[in-house]
Amino acid sequence: MITVLSRARSLTRAASATVAVAALLATAACSSASPDTSAQQSQSRDQELSIAVQAPPASLDPSQLAEGQQSYVWASIFDTLLLVDKEGKVRPNAAESWKYSEDLRTLTLKLRGDLKFSAGDAVTAKDVVGTLERTRATPGQQQSKLAKVTAVSAPDDSTVVIQLSAPEPSLLNYLAQATGVIGDPETLAAETTKLRPAGSGPYVLSDATVDGTEYVLERREDHWNAAAYPFKTVKVKVIQDRTAQYNALQAGEVKAAFIQAPQRQQAEAAGFKVKEVQAVAALALILADRKGELVPALADVKVRQAINMAFDREQVVKALLQGVGRPTVQVFNPNGDAYNSELEGTYDFDPEKARKLLAEAGYADGFSMTMPSTVISQSFEPVITQALADIGIKVTWEPVPPQNTAASISSKKYPAVLWFAGLNEAGREVGDMYTPEAFLNPFKWQDPEFDKLLQKIANESDEEARADLYKKVSEYTVKQALNAPIAYTGTLWATAPDVEFIPSVVVLPTVRDFGVTSG
Amino acid sequence: MISYALRRLGAGIVLALLVTMITFFLLSGSLESVARERLGSAATPESIKALMTQLGFDRPAIVQYLDWLGAVLTGDFGTSLFTSQPVAPAVASRLGVTLSLVVTALIITVIVSVALGVWAASRGGVADKVSQALSLVGYIVPGLLIAIVLVAVLAVNLKLLPATGFTHFAQNPAKWAASITIPVIVLVIGGVASMAAQVRGSMIDELRKDYVRTLRTRGIPTRSIVLRHALRNAASPALTVLSLEFIQMLGGALIIENVFALPGYGQYAFNASLQGDIPIIMGITLFGVMLVVAVNLITDVVNGWLNPKARIY
Repeated sequence: MITVLSRARSLTRAASATVAVAALLATAACSSASPDTSAQQSQSRDQELSIAVQAPPASLDPSQLAEGQQSYVWASIFDTLLLVDKEGKVRPNAAESWKYSEDLRTLTLKLRGDLKFSAGDAVTAKDVVGTLERTRATPGQQQSKLAKVTAVSAPDDSTVVIQLSAPEPSLLNYLAQATGVIGDPETLAAETTKLRPAGSGPYVLSDATVDGTEYVLERREDHWNAAAYPFKTVKVKVIQDRTAQYNALQAGEVKAAFIQAPQRQQAEAAGFKVKEVQAVAALALILADRKGELVPALADVKVRQAINMAFDREQVVKALLQGVGRPTVQVFNPNGDAYNSELEGTYDFDPEKARKLLAEAGYADGFSMTMPSTVISQSFEPVITQALADIGIKVTWEPVPPQNTAASISSKKYPAVLWFAGLNEAGREVGDMYTPEAFLNPFKWQDPEFDKLLQKIANESDEEARADLYKKVSEYTVKQALNAPIAYTGTLWATAPDVEFIPSVVVLPTVRDFGVTSG
Repeated sequence: MISYALRRLGAGIVLALLVTMITFFLLSGSLESVARERLGSAATPESIKALMTQLGFDRPAIVQYLDWLGAVLTGDFGTSLFTSQPVAPAVASRLGVTLSLVVTALIITVIVSVALGVWAASRGGVADKVSQALSLVGYIVPGLLIAIVLVAVLAVNLKLLPATGFTHFAQNPAKWAASITIPVIVLVIGGVASMAAQVRGSMIDELRKDYVRTLRTRGIPTRSIVLRHALRNAASPALTVLSLEFIQMLGGALIIENVFALPGYGQYAFNASLQGDIPIIMGITLFGVMLVVAVNLITDVVNGWLNPKARIY
């Protein structure tokens, strides 16, 4: 039981953490996408939405915010400076405009004039500076995202200037997510901020909230963008068990929840709307030791390519992901700049060719390696073991306790790790995977050609040119077989008939992902 | 008796110290993982180090433990590393949910088991067979299966009771009762299966004893013999089973709490362990040990009251 629960939970955590990344989508687009007539809208604006989530939000202190399903709560309480739309483009939000200097080392943001904290005070540039400075100085999930920031200042009440030591291609994206929330610097250090922060967002936490169990959010009618939020009350209910979530949905206790593939038909037959989000994370065998420190074979590109050819990806999606997902050889967001559809098909399932490649690399008799058996890998282990054994690679799985899952990568104890890589904006994905500081690059692999490519991206101000460069990054990573991606994993959202789950891709989950069904 | 209770309490405190110390030292091997988990995948060696310093994880484990202990003695149980909730109220509230479930289930278990066991033992024949069959069914059918069926029928289809969630008694007693009905039924079925058999067995033993025959010859009504004399003597072993049942129910609550999404103790402990939320794990361990000590103490005292021969004080 414990294993099943923990695995389910961690899979979801990994998936949602990854997911969290890509999701601002819904926002700007939602308001314009809503097909409701004004009459229906006014009628629908008193509705309540209740969403089932698997874990409660951590601290609501802006410097400690975490992405994933937690953002249903904090993205409702806080305004973010910017926003990412459905196409993955950065849009204005609390900052109505922004401008980079020519050397991409100074970012100037202009705030809207009608931002107000829930207590009534106006939000000024000083509040933004105070929040960013504190996040920069406080160890937490957001701190490293501001590593290149050297100073933040407020020349006047509506202007924020951010100085950088070097160009940071992902900064705008960061400011559209947890790093970009605006808190009230006067209250940030107070203990109450962790559970009841002061924000300027579209909702406030009501007294009915039970921390860790149920978060009740009431819409602020005085919020500058209240019209974009159709639900008067939003309840975020923590229901850890997937079956319990589905029971709650069927019993009418929540209006939206994740469901599992086998429940799909039943849910649809019962009148629920089911929407598939095809890619929330990339399931990949991270070939961390591509420098060959633990397993010299992995330093050879032919060996890594052989590993890529060992997996029958279609079957993995069908059998292990129950059809919710799709095969891939890339780890980049399929809706992002780096994704290159032409690369799919680079490594078709071909054990024979894989064995040949291994022989050419001098490993005709194969080799062995040890991988961590984590809550993420457990259900996939038999398939991975078999696939690699078929080409001559013997895998030994070493059990790792759940709380040490992340450490199994950073410890540099394992040459390869099965992981759910979060989908995000291309720059963030590269930063998580391939830079020398990247979490998924523990052996600090580097390559001059690759570094040059990243340098070019950092200095490129034109969006399209940058997107082309990111595609080259993906091409390089696939051709060099830096990892062995297997599939994009998806999720199924089921909603009550009067609620609609809008986005087909989710980066940062927010209540704006949900709309009221017209008619 | 008071000195006995105090001695037991003292032993309980020593036990709590030992258990929490062992727990802390076992956890102290994963401090870096905990810091990393809190910082997420963007953690750098520098930020991990900074956070460990901020949380005091860079100090020797014994210093950290004594620090925790010192704070606990002043009533400060710390704050969750992940949810920022203060430990004492969070654990107490979770424990409240689980106890309201378990205590209600125990009371019903006792009433049903005693009725069933006494009925079976004193009547014999068909009554005995029926009672044994019920116990057997309770044993065989897994609680989880009963839970799933009851939710499907009573909550999802008939919508008579909630499928998930908990309402506190103080907020709305009717809703509280509704929110725990299915979980309590599941716990009671499992509890009655073992308790009823125990009561039946003890009662049969008692009713065969000489003093019962003597009472019968003196013309004491059967009802009085069964309820006033035999049951009192038979209650002692049943009480021991009951105390074990209570502790078992606390452990088993994890599954029930998950199935019904009840914000209880078991689920909380499970999540805290997964994350390595040290202050919460320590708080839960301490409360857990003290609860078990208290239950055992109460069992001994009640046992002594029921049966002076069993007095160990």
